[in-house]
Amino acid sequence: MNATALIDAAKDGILTGSVYALMATGLTLIFGVMDIINVAQGILVILGAYLSYALSVHLGIDLFLGLLITIPSLFVVGVVIERAFIGRLKGPEKTAMSILVTYAVSLLIEGALNIIFTVNDVQLHASYVNKSFLIGGIHFSFIYVAGFVMAVILLSALYFMLYRTRFGVSVRASLADQTSAALVGIDVRRVSTICFGIGVAVTAAGGMVYGATNAFNASTSYDLISRLLTIIVLGGMGSLGGAMIAGVSMVFIGDMVGVLWSPVWSTMAYFVVLIIVLLLRPQGLFGKPIARVA
Amino acid sequence: MVERAFVSFKGVVAGYGGGDVLKSVEFDVPQGGLTCIVGPNGSGKSTLLKTVSGLVTPRLGEIWFKGHNLVGKSPREILKLGVVQVPQNHSLFREMSVNENVELGAFLIKDKKVIAERMDRVRTMFPIVAQRANDKAGSLSGGQQRLVEFARCLMLEPDLVVLDEPSMGLDPKTLRLVFETIKMMNNEGRTVLLVEQNARQALKMSDFGVVLENGRVRLSGSGQEVLNNPEIGALYLGGSTGGPAAH
Repeated sequence: MNATALIDAAKDGILTGSVYALMATGLTLIFGVMDIINVAQGILVILGAYLSYALSVHLGIDLFLGLLITIPSLFVVGVVIERAFIGRLKGPEKTAMSILVTYAVSLLIEGALNIIFTVNDVQLHASYVNKSFLIGGIHFSFIYVAGFVMAVILLSALYFMLYRTRFGVSVRASLADQTSAALVGIDVRRVSTICFGIGVAVTAAGGMVYGATNAFNASTSYDLISRLLTIIVLGGMGSLGGAMIAGVSMVFIGDMVGVLWSPVWSTMAYFVVLIIVLLLRPQGLFGKPIARVA
Repeated sequence: MVERAFVSFKGVVAGYGGGDVLKSVEFDVPQGGLTCIVGPNGSGKSTLLKTVSGLVTPRLGEIWFKGHNLVGKSPREILKLGVVQVPQNHSLFREMSVNENVELGAFLIKDKKVIAERMDRVRTMFPIVAQRANDKAGSLSGGQQRLVEFARCLMLEPDLVVLDEPSMGLDPKTLRLVFETIKMMNNEGRTVLLVEQNARQALKMSDFGVVLENGRVRLSGSGQEVLNNPEIGALYLGGSTGGPAAH
């Protein structure tokens, strides 16, 4: 073990973790505003990856340029899912029912992807995917750095939207208390639909980076959703800042344990941290300690 | 000055899925008056207010306000008609500043000049809004939060103010201030519809009183009539009529 290996692990943790943070932010935004646990988020990431793949292979569109098409497309997919299925869920069982409904949506998308793209693994390719550059004796993979920069830009845009716009005020109010938000004239239904769209749209960016750095097929979504759910549980359900910190922590902790101890324990280490945090703070790092007013 | 019916409840039946809480409620709220609804727990007082603000949609019946039937309208549409509700539980957004909370009261107003003018007005009426402008709303005491909620509800300059147990959990001194503020809003010409557990004190300052029991109107009349009704006094006002407030 040497210092370079540790620095490499920390670097990879932060760069890769930021992309997970981006995907998890979408998931926690949806839960925070709507009390919906979207277990289809994993397959939507894969859908985003496949869209990038299709644009790249069939139309020759660059992976990053393709995001100008895939992000709005997945926003529309999110809006359609919300209007067709999620918006119909009402009452005290809404959150529990949302798991079943979004799982059904997930199965539908998975089936469609299997038919269209088969079950064989694919990976996104571009001239820069395997390129790297050297700074201060440390190798930086271009795609990871680009993914990190993109995640920072998108998360910054999300924060700007939340804290500097009128729509952001209505989202934050809906996050805090839907009834009070409705009583000041916020159209909580519309806010929910747009938030679901945004929450799904970020999967396009996450999916592209994931697909460029991993071979994937539709069933890869199961691994992804389990990671994303544990990220938002650690960060605190509904906490955007918590999702970001937990996303980076998950990869960072795994990588550090892999270097310091053994890669065998990498995944388990994160879950040990998760269990310890939940024992001390059942609401997660930044979750609210009391039940939210529905 | 109290005038004709401003809000009319006509055969309102409403509930939450587990049965009807309101069972054909009928009464009028006079324009410009302060109407207080009293009754035992579970009689449907809060549910009734929720039907006015659109949080609960009645299964049957009509609620008429300024020529509009409010039944089936969203809270946003009802707000646009000039009906503002301050709910029972504290409804400020705790993580937002006092200023942000009060500004949210004018969420439906696009004109920034109008918003600024109204902010100035509520700052004058409620000094706490200026004094704690940048503090998080969650850091205020219960009474202070209630006053900021009142300030927020006045940002729309509503015709009808609906208040659900505004004195809940307040100490006697703050309670007096809250009641004075309610009277001030009413004296400005706003019709006030109030649900209050502190029934004796609320009825004393009210022009009209309505007693709800098991989802139906048991009695209605002037505040003094309801207060002096021996049966109602024995059941809901602590056993005597017209005397000092029971604690």
